[in-house]
Amino acid sequence: MELITIILATLASLSRVLMLILISIVSGWILSYVAVKNRKFENIYISFVNIFESIPVIGFLPIVLVIFISGLGGTLGVEIAADFLVFDAIVWNIWIGQYQAFKTIPQHLIEVSENYNFGWWGKMKNLYIPFSYPRVSSDIFPSFADALFYIMVSEVFSVGITAYKVFGIGTLIVQATSTGDLTSIYECLGVLAVGVVVITLAFGSFSKHAIAKYGLNTSIEIKRHIGYWRPHIRKWSKDVIPTPRVSKYATKMKMGTENIQTAVTKVRTSRSFEKIGKYIGTGIAWMFLIFIGYSSINVILSVPHSQWAIYLAQTPNLLYQMGVDYIRVIVVTIVSFVFAVSLGYYLANHKKASTISLPIIQTISAFPAPAYFPLIFAATAPLFLHNLSSVETELYVMLLCFLGTFYYVFFGFWVGVRAIPTEFLEVTQNYKIGFFTKMRRIILPATFPYLVTGLSSTINSAWGGLAVGEFWPNIYGNQTLQVHTGMMKVISKGLANGDMGIAAWTSLLFAIVVGVYSIVFTRNLMDLARKKYVIEEGIYAA
Amino acid sequence: MTQTFNETLGESQLECKDLGYAYSGTNFIFKDISIKTYADELVAIVGPSGTGKSTFLRVLASLIPSTAGHAFLNNVEMKDPSSQISLVHQSIATFPWMTALDNVKIVLRNKVKDDEATEIAKKMIALVGLNGHEDAYPKEMSGGMRQRIAIARALAASPTIMLMDEPFVHLDELTANSLRAEIYSIVFNPENTLKSVILVSHNLHEVVQLADRVYVMGGTPARIVNEIKIDLPRPRSEEDPLFYEYVKTLYKELMPKESVG
Ligand SMILES: Nc1ncnc2c1ncn2[C@@H]1O[C@H](COP(=O)(O)OP(=O)(O)OP(=O)(O)O)[C@@H](O)[C@H]1O
Ligand SMILES: [Mg+2]
Repeated sequence: MELITIILATLASLSRVLMLILISIVSGWILSYVAVKNRKFENIYISFVNIFESIPVIGFLPIVLVIFISGLGGTLGVEIAADFLVFDAIVWNIWIGQYQAFKTIPQHLIEVSENYNFGWWGKMKNLYIPFSYPRVSSDIFPSFADALFYIMVSEVFSVGITAYKVFGIGTLIVQATSTGDLTSIYECLGVLAVGVVVITLAFGSFSKHAIAKYGLNTSIEIKRHIGYWRPHIRKWSKDVIPTPRVSKYATKMKMGTENIQTAVTKVRTSRSFEKIGKYIGTGIAWMFLIFIGYSSINVILSVPHSQWAIYLAQTPNLLYQMGVDYIRVIVVTIVSFVFAVSLGYYLANHKKASTISLPIIQTISAFPAPAYFPLIFAATAPLFLHNLSSVETELYVMLLCFLGTFYYVFFGFWVGVRAIPTEFLEVTQNYKIGFFTKMRRIILPATFPYLVTGLSSTINSAWGGLAVGEFWPNIYGNQTLQVHTGMMKVISKGLANGDMGIAAWTSLLFAIVVGVYSIVFTRNLMDLARKKYVIEEGIYAA
Repeated sequence: MTQTFNETLGESQLECKDLGYAYSGTNFIFKDISIKTYADELVAIVGPSGTGKSTFLRVLASLIPSTAGHAFLNNVEMKDPSSQISLVHQSIATFPWMTALDNVKIVLRNKVKDDEATEIAKKMIALVGLNGHEDAYPKEMSGGMRQRIAIARALAASPTIMLMDEPFVHLDELTANSLRAEIYSIVFNPENTLKSVILVSHNLHEVVQLADRVYVMGGTPARIVNEIKIDLPRPRSEEDPLFYEYVKTLYKELMPKESVG
């Protein structure tokens, strides 16, 4: 492979991901705003996002294939299909985070913004968007990592004997691993690593800045631009974007009824903006519904009647396979949780260790596990000197899951710990509160909202790991990694054999289970986190 | 126990020598501060906003390490935080997911038996006048009630010294007044272990009402620029002309610095 091709492919993949992250953020602000203002939309929106977040990318493949590949066709169809898969990997996490940020804006700030008639855009610009920065900044990171995790699945997918691919680094890595071309694998990983490091550092500094500046009273210092740039930036912002101040309106309003009139019109227009926002939201919700409905019908129609009887007969077995996968997910989640909390706690208390290891952890976490996993596999599997036993296969699959997931709890916990107001940490120091009491009664509850989201992301990506790992033909050269029992294997294998029907049916079963689970479990947990465990509310300050 | 009590009576409790603190490098917030507190004494610190009073209390409690100088408790150098010196924060910090009782009990967990912890916590809650509210969550309490919980929590840790940073500033005047009237008897109640209190306050009436001695902090970096003894019998009354004299004196102390800063 030419180095220039590898570089271009990396740029293509990374810009694809960054563009889609940007689109997710902007659309998320609008949708979340509509959601916190409109109860009906909120219910639909949150259930949808929760369900979709929990379905791994591969679950969308059947739908995507039907719509974009056979519907649109051509290069454009394949490109949109790939974009859609990447979008699916990043968007839910970001949307949920923004929604939660909007939901947790302290009442007194909302009241201030209502009080002074900020208007829709004013409220967004001055309160909602800035308030969501810490969340967004910590969420783009896992989203980016998640998108890269699936890069190989979303850039190349084959159904039966037809392979679809777009230009990108994922495609190149798949090519290199399936031919066992070590040099190319290393080159691809090297170039990708450079890109990942650059982006990770950029995200990292944004996140630090966002938490320091927009977080509530935490122990992180606000870094300012000092030196040369500062006055220029100031000047520029003054000259080019004169920001209207609230006080200006206030003085205007004193001047006479005429101006009060304008103020009233202002409020009206802002209200109508809100209405438009609601329409947009409802429109998008409907688009979702129609999209899902259309694609489900399409998939159903593409399956002959006689097949349905077969699928129904297989359902009990499929549920059993799903159960096995649930056990795997639970094990991975528990291991990740314990590991993340111990490591996070250690780093929170060791400043030096954390300044060194955090950027490293962050970079590794953004590096797609499936991209380097074949190397681990190739290096270790021959050591067993025999065909892998089922326990050994399990270990590999779980390792892959762990490598792709533990970061979510870890960073959730980390951000949560950093968001604890200084006063509380001082209370624990002051009274020498012991480790376990501190953990159980202060740190874990205080980080609970972050842990809930971190854990749900971990669970979701654990599914993704299973989707990749349970059935992996040609993982290295002509070796195949596959488990004996597992729902994800059924789906992947179905796709590989061109049996779309069984893959779609299994995905649908899974979606139903996940949906029910998210409604009865995740949502309640989130509600509890929101109502009771908001540590920022514990500070009563002027 | 009573033996040591008698021995230390009248001796300095908390003492610091040439204490200084810089957030970064050599930019000292305050410098060369040496103060002492004695048994059964309430010492106030006044100074313009932003001088470094809160920072000074944090250093005294060893919550942040001093950049220069030393602090001693009963002649033993203090390096690590200790519940012997309890800080009541300027912003009231109560854990939102704990009831009033649990908020107080948190400082006793794993140190005494659970029954005993409950008993002590209840006693302290009663001491700050909140009996009957043990099961309330912070959200269900007013600012003044939360502040009392924070004070009860500080007292439950059986401190020798209590550092109070603007403890009444979030309260309405009526609540603040009644709490001020009670605070002296609360903190120097024989039921608790407290020996002396350092109170940071902007409210000069409050200072004259409560303090035995006042340190005036000022300048950049801040130093102790004056020390004033308040020689008024208790209970003190604002009607007392001497009371007013003290307020005026303190006011003058702060005036020039405030017009400069
Ligand atoms: N984290 C920090 N980093 C840098 N400087 C800080 C930090 N916190 C406080 N300062 C500075 O230290 C100085 C003292 O702050 P401090 O809060 O101790 O003042 P204070 O006397 O308690 O004020 P107030 O009466 O308003 O409570 C201030 O000038 C402030 O700018
Ligand atoms: Mg202060």
